[in-house]
Amino acid sequence: MRTLARYLRLYFIIEAQYIKARMQYRADFLVSSIGMFFSSLATLAVFWILFNSINDLAGWTFMEMVFIYAFYMIAISPMQILFDHFWQLRFHIRQGTFLKYYFRPLNMMFYYMSEMFDLKGLTQLLVGIGLLIYASTQLEISWTAARVILLLVTLFSAALVQVAVVLIATCAAFWVVDSWPVLGLAWKLREFAPYPMSIFDGAFRFTFTYIIPIGFVAFYPSQLFLRPEQVSPLVYASPLIGIALFALMYWIWTQGVNSYTGTGS
Amino acid sequence: MSLIHIQDLSKHFKILNRRQGLGGAFRDLFSGDYRTVRAVDGIALDIQPGEIVGYIGPNGAGKSTTIKMMTGILKPTAGTITVNGQVPYANRIRQAQIMGVVFGQRTQLWWDLPVIESFKILKEIYRVDQATFDRHMEVFEKLVGLKELYSQQVRTLSLGQRMLCDISASFLHNPQVVFLDEPTIGLDVSIKAKIRSVVSELNRVRGTTIILTTHDLGDVEALCRRIIILDKGKILFDGPTKKVTSLFGAYRTLKLQIDDFDDTTLSSLREKLAGRFGRDHGVTVASIEELWTDVTIDQARTPLSDVLNFIMKTFPVFDVRIVEISMEKVVQQVYEGALG
Repeated sequence: MRTLARYLRLYFIIEAQYIKARMQYRADFLVSSIGMFFSSLATLAVFWILFNSINDLAGWTFMEMVFIYAFYMIAISPMQILFDHFWQLRFHIRQGTFLKYYFRPLNMMFYYMSEMFDLKGLTQLLVGIGLLIYASTQLEISWTAARVILLLVTLFSAALVQVAVVLIATCAAFWVVDSWPVLGLAWKLREFAPYPMSIFDGAFRFTFTYIIPIGFVAFYPSQLFLRPEQVSPLVYASPLIGIALFALMYWIWTQGVNSYTGTGS
Repeated sequence: MSLIHIQDLSKHFKILNRRQGLGGAFRDLFSGDYRTVRAVDGIALDIQPGEIVGYIGPNGAGKSTTIKMMTGILKPTAGTITVNGQVPYANRIRQAQIMGVVFGQRTQLWWDLPVIESFKILKEIYRVDQATFDRHMEVFEKLVGLKELYSQQVRTLSLGQRMLCDISASFLHNPQVVFLDEPTIGLDVSIKAKIRSVVSELNRVRGTTIILTTHDLGDVEALCRRIIILDKGKILFDGPTKKVTSLFGAYRTLKLQIDDFDDTTLSSLREKLAGRFGRDHGVTVASIEELWTDVTIDQARTPLSDVLNFIMKTFPVFDVRIVEISMEKVVQQVYEGALG
């Protein structure tokens, strides 16, 4: 517990400084935030065009799709905001600059990820929250205390799934010289997350449910609020899936960190 | 008790023998054809608290591998290693608390932040109390003039200023041992001198043990009373720096560019030098880089000016540089029994 408090305190100290430094480039902050805002809405535009010609997508209405998408945006925000340094890992590894992360008395993943805090991800989070409120009002979802707690728990585990999937792909850089194909694939796959899994063919649905479980980033947990009567028991296990995947990811990261120094000169 | 104790320490790596071409790369996927590289091969050494030791050797000698084992990020294949009585790799985080590390070319400070903020973050990371922090910052101010740089972003510092900041930062938490890796690489003479004096002051004031890896014999001569020369994973020499510098300080290399250089030039140069100065004249000729001919001279036996004059008169030389002896040359000479 004392360790956790210490890390939290450290995190705030580092990020406060980081944000202060970024804020000196105001134009950069504004342009990237505006860009993030519109790219967040782009998928929504696709839905809107789609639903001009169809009434429902595999039985899901436009507003339900907006809800799933809003859930998705909130669930991927922690990765965007807190873990954004993952993009640079393969460069650090290839150029040898990754070595410095071994020399501080800190957890290495914490130290590595603390070097980046993605401000524009906050825009995404805010748009997601706004859309979630809007869609649930339109859908007349009543937010009892139990539902709100369920929402927070499922969002948390969905965020864990998202972080785990992307970081497992990122860790390929520890063993593969050019790891972009692996990371690119994981990054691309998450774009399927805000769609009903039922629109996918058997093999894809199986993959997205059991192998690269991006179905758990948005669609499956959203069902708890949209169609609670149809939910399969597996969905209730989603917090466990999130924690298990995150643990697996951390184990792979540790293996990577240990094997990396072994090959240096 | 020794601060660092190393006995029969080895680190071997298994490396895949790679084949050429695309087909080869594909076959490599299923290959079990490994060879063993003995990066560190049975070394023994003891370092006492407060020492500054020059740890030198050519590229691939095993310096970084040893340092990685001392810092606890690499587990030895065999042998024992203790730092401050503890096995480093058993607990990397505990180990990190008692050491400082500086890389010559890469800063470990926060690139976008003002210098002082980096120090404040380090204060939190290493749990340095306010009184110690203030006292140390005062020492750094006196030695380096750090205050002037406080508000500057690390990215805007010159290489020399950044190095001074990095070195100061590595001493902030009062470590038992600091590893300096090529601290003067790429710096001009005046900054080099400044860095050497700062390091030697910090060692004197704080009593911190310092392990210095460098390609610059000048660093070793200025800072270290003891030198360890490593090559191919083995210790070639471990003893007083004086012994090495008295031997190699006298060496200079003339780098020459000669007009109409061809296959016969090198041997004709050798013969003419032998004819003029005798066989046992301490002058050797080699061509390592293209276009440049290296003439290494032991000034104790033959004056450099005589050799230069003679060559200038005899050969159409159009460019000359005089450099101190390189690390590779030192190692070669040690092999040939120079320190025997």
